[in-house]
Amino acid sequence: MSDAYIVSAVRTPVARAFKGGFRNVRPDDLLAHALKHALAEVPGLDPGRVEDVIVGCAMPEAEQGMNVARIGALLAGLPDSVPGVTVNRFCSSGLQTIAMAADRIRLGEADVMIAAGTETMTMVPMMGHKVAMNPKVFDDNENVAIAYGMGITAEKVAQKWDVSRADQDEFAYRSHQKAIAAIDGGEFTEIRPYTVTSRVPDPKTGQVREIETVIDTDEGPRRDTSPEALGKLRTVFDAKGSVTAATSSQMSDGAGALVLVSERVVKELNLKPLAVFRGFSVAGVPAEIMGIGPIEAIPKVLKQTGVSKDDLDWIELNEAFAAQSLAVMRTVELDPDKVNPLGGAIALGHPLGATGAILAAKLVHGLQRRQQRYGMVTMCIGTGMGAAGIFERV
Amino acid sequence: MTDHKLLVRRAAVLGAGVMGAQIAAHLTAAGIPVDLYDLPSDDKPRSKIAAGAVANLLKLKPAPLASKDLAAFITPRNFDDDLAQLEHCDFIIEAIVERMDIKKSLYEKIGPHIHADAFFVTNTSGLSITELADVVPDALKDRFCGVHFFNPPRYMHLVELIPHPGTDGKVLDLLEDFLTRNLGKGVVRCRDTANFIANRVGVFTMWSTMHHAQRMGLGFDTVDALTGPAIGRPKSATFRLADVVGLDTMANVIRTMDAKLTDDPWHDLFKAPDWLGKLIEAGALGQKAGAGVFRKEGKEIKVFDPETGDYRATDYSLRDEVKAILAIKDPGEKLAELAKCEYPETEFLWAIHRDLFHYCAYHLAEIAESAREIDLAMRWGYGWNFGPFEQWQAAGWKRVADLIQADIDADKTGVKAHLPKWVSEVDGAHGPGGSWSAAEGEVSPRPDLPVYQRQYQPVRLIGEASHTGQTVHETESIRLWTLHDDVLIASLKSKMGVIDTGVVEGLNEALDKAEAGFEGLVIWQPQGPFSAGANLKAAADAIQRGDYDSVRALVKGFQEANLRMRYAGIPSVAAVRGLALGGGLELAMHASRRVAHLESYMGLVEAGVGLLPAGGGLATLALQANADTAAGDTWPLMEKRYKQVAMGQVAGSAMEAKDMGYLRPEDLIVLHEHELLHAAHGVIRSLTSAGYRPPLPDRTIPAAGDVGIATMKMLLVNMLEGHFISDHDFEIGSRIATALCGGEIDRGTPVDERWLHHLEREHFLELCAMPKTQERVGHMLKTGKPLRN
Repeated sequence: MSDAYIVSAVRTPVARAFKGGFRNVRPDDLLAHALKHALAEVPGLDPGRVEDVIVGCAMPEAEQGMNVARIGALLAGLPDSVPGVTVNRFCSSGLQTIAMAADRIRLGEADVMIAAGTETMTMVPMMGHKVAMNPKVFDDNENVAIAYGMGITAEKVAQKWDVSRADQDEFAYRSHQKAIAAIDGGEFTEIRPYTVTSRVPDPKTGQVREIETVIDTDEGPRRDTSPEALGKLRTVFDAKGSVTAATSSQMSDGAGALVLVSERVVKELNLKPLAVFRGFSVAGVPAEIMGIGPIEAIPKVLKQTGVSKDDLDWIELNEAFAAQSLAVMRTVELDPDKVNPLGGAIALGHPLGATGAILAAKLVHGLQRRQQRYGMVTMCIGTGMGAAGIFERV
Repeated sequence: MTDHKLLVRRAAVLGAGVMGAQIAAHLTAAGIPVDLYDLPSDDKPRSKIAAGAVANLLKLKPAPLASKDLAAFITPRNFDDDLAQLEHCDFIIEAIVERMDIKKSLYEKIGPHIHADAFFVTNTSGLSITELADVVPDALKDRFCGVHFFNPPRYMHLVELIPHPGTDGKVLDLLEDFLTRNLGKGVVRCRDTANFIANRVGVFTMWSTMHHAQRMGLGFDTVDALTGPAIGRPKSATFRLADVVGLDTMANVIRTMDAKLTDDPWHDLFKAPDWLGKLIEAGALGQKAGAGVFRKEGKEIKVFDPETGDYRATDYSLRDEVKAILAIKDPGEKLAELAKCEYPETEFLWAIHRDLFHYCAYHLAEIAESAREIDLAMRWGYGWNFGPFEQWQAAGWKRVADLIQADIDADKTGVKAHLPKWVSEVDGAHGPGGSWSAAEGEVSPRPDLPVYQRQYQPVRLIGEASHTGQTVHETESIRLWTLHDDVLIASLKSKMGVIDTGVVEGLNEALDKAEAGFEGLVIWQPQGPFSAGANLKAAADAIQRGDYDSVRALVKGFQEANLRMRYAGIPSVAAVRGLALGGGLELAMHASRRVAHLESYMGLVEAGVGLLPAGGGLATLALQANADTAAGDTWPLMEKRYKQVAMGQVAGSAMEAKDMGYLRPEDLIVLHEHELLHAAHGVIRSLTSAGYRPPLPDRTIPAAGDVGIATMKMLLVNMLEGHFISDHDFEIGSRIATALCGGEIDRGTPVDERWLHHLEREHFLELCAMPKTQERVGHMLKTGKPLRN
């Protein structure tokens, strides 16, 4: 069985939804940008050799419907012969694609695969444009949690795992501090800037004016926040609860892409891989406490890959909410110093289906810069699941 | 200048302070785009100050903008860069700082930019219009006058119109027409005397109240208990009003009176009380400072006690003897009882009324054309139920004059001023022919400007003649009448327009009569709100008896009357102002058209009392959502409508009511409440002239069905889990969803109004049987406030 080598991993900056730099940028364009850069950074690779482009997207409809993977691949200039498939497991979609791409290589079915993720929460809201619940959800109490918003599940986790408001505020504050330090320290080497061209009418000339803006930095982190300011915010999901907008992940737009190849291709093209993908696990938990999904997925993936928890140098734990992040860290006993050293989704944003690819790109570049060995990307998933994948720098 | 009408295509407001910005906001409600000017900023954007004022309009309560969207029609400008833009403005109102020198330099600066037909006016409340006219460039003088709005300008009906000797009379007529018809205001023409009319009398009253309260040793809380609704004035009474206005402002106004009114016989008494100075010194300036005469301590509101110099618990109770006197219905008898001065409270009340009457009579010739202007100004500018002369007249003109004279003779008034001679020569201030003009020594008739022909039923003062039309049919609940023979008018007789069996019967009678012999039917209340809803008390009593059949019959009867109106052979118009809630709104929703005063507050609020709209309101919303989205997806609109009913939202204006679907796109919004009836007649006539056809009956729509209900429940379950709603709210919300979506049936199944009405009715009855709903109804009847249980 061949290992699956990650030879390129890039992402767009993550912009704030609705008012951010990507508010008018389509998800297929963000995806094409990531795909183009990911491929361009593998010297000597003929794009025609890509076996498949697997793209994660959590709300694959409207601008990101119509099999956004195939559209993004064509827009990126990939030849017609390269196919594309969109996969959806909500917030883990972008990690799921890496697992699926790696599997094809490990099975010997493919030599070159692309795994990616894209999401614009500006254009396609969470839950999509049209929500239509199954009436059976309310037939008995068993499945009512399918109807819960994510914020309610975070409140339930906070309550059950006894995560205090103060701890959540502190966690959120630290996420921003770490992200700002990382931006200032130039740590986000996986970002490939995106030039947004906006066109507006110019009544003075009667012409259409083009304005170019280069987006090169994540927009989410706030320099002006403080634990005191966070402490004053009102809870949004539960009048008697503890979760605020600031201790929840931000809604965002962004994309990420990774190129995975077999050992044969590494040798043939004399590539310097960033990492090897070691393995992936996913597990189910009750929908009403979906945030604790990683509690099941992490031990499972460690057992499967034979990597011990102590071997992990860097953990990208998606900060859907401070409450679930802390519950997971405490239960699985993750070393807080190893978790999200560059900040997480509370500061940097969480473009749902793109997040897995974005975190993986952030991780493999980080492992390279810091010369560390094992890293993990893990996240909770709506309706009650958790996913985790292990990466090893080579 | 046009001869018949002032056409304002664009307006400018100079000065973006509290008044200026809010005047701009109200102009946008009248469909006029506004340039709002203030000083330039050193840094960019240069019109930052005006822009900040526009942004602030979105936060102010009560809302100055009739709809948030209107903010976009106010363009921030500055006096340095944008003066050339003034040439596009037809109406320019100045509302900058009250300093003659600053106003003068601004007037000189803007003069060259104002076009030859534009009107230039000032909103000053403190400076003389004549003195200001001296510094107005010559070319503008004849089009210059005072146009004095009251705060908050959207909600206060009064605008004082003050000419200077050089103002063209035609200008005043055109402005009066514009302010009335376009801005919906009540115009009172004033003389150019200090503080004009409303503030002259209002501030005198405030001063006199403070003076006599101190003299009689009455607590401020007691004074407020005595000078609010007990004597026909707003709840803010005296000292709460002073806190709202600001104690520093109050002191300033009293100082201005002291400085300006040196010839006033009351002048020597115009001194601010000592405690006022002390509070101001301590920074207790009123509401804006968090403390004034009253101070909120935790949940308790305490009142300042000048005796101790500290705050104490409030006590609004009155002794029984005083309460008994205040309860006397006959105004003459009541005033006579007060004048006996048996208690400090009655002596106080007599003194403030005596001084008010005395003051107004003494100054009438100087400050107003006639008694009408003073009484209207106090009603519209200070929210009094009746003006001073009306109160006097109602209590018996001669009897009160004698009582006042007796006090003057006994030297009890503290001033050397006699009652003017005319007082003894007339029988009252107002009569069928008009109001007494002391200046002219004759009765002054109502102004005959064309704009007043549009007010079919204007405010009439006590003593004035009123024309109440021809009664066609009258019961305890409803009056059917006509003004012009062609249109039948139905007016609900209860104070709040409450709907009960009698109203439903009356409505059927109205439809019978209208179909038989009229062009159409207008539903309009002469006084008070359109309708606060169905008669909860009657329903609660029936439920108490376990008589659900009669509740079902009542609901069904109302639904059927509403449907009958919708499909009648003649058009119907609901003329709405003020509240149109619950059943009242459902009634309006079934008319062919609605004309609504801008200040209409519409909502299906049944959830607050544990019920759901069962007069066809939900069915109408479902039908309309379907019609409004015929080419697309009905769901987003259904969801919006669902939320507004489940949460009992009330529109903050007629414009917001359009957004909520309670008014339809073709419905008309009227700025002046007294033009409603005129507009309603116009709509009936236009519908008739186009050959009115009712909508086709028995239309079906695809139901949102079980999936719709489930999706609405998803919203509810998150609010329930998040402790934003109670279990009973969930219950009510689920039933509203069920009735709106056509029940637990397959999505897309065709349903008609009758099926939806059946669901409304059955869920209404099932809610009625629930103890928690009964608790809500009982609480509302007892306290007037909703209960969350």
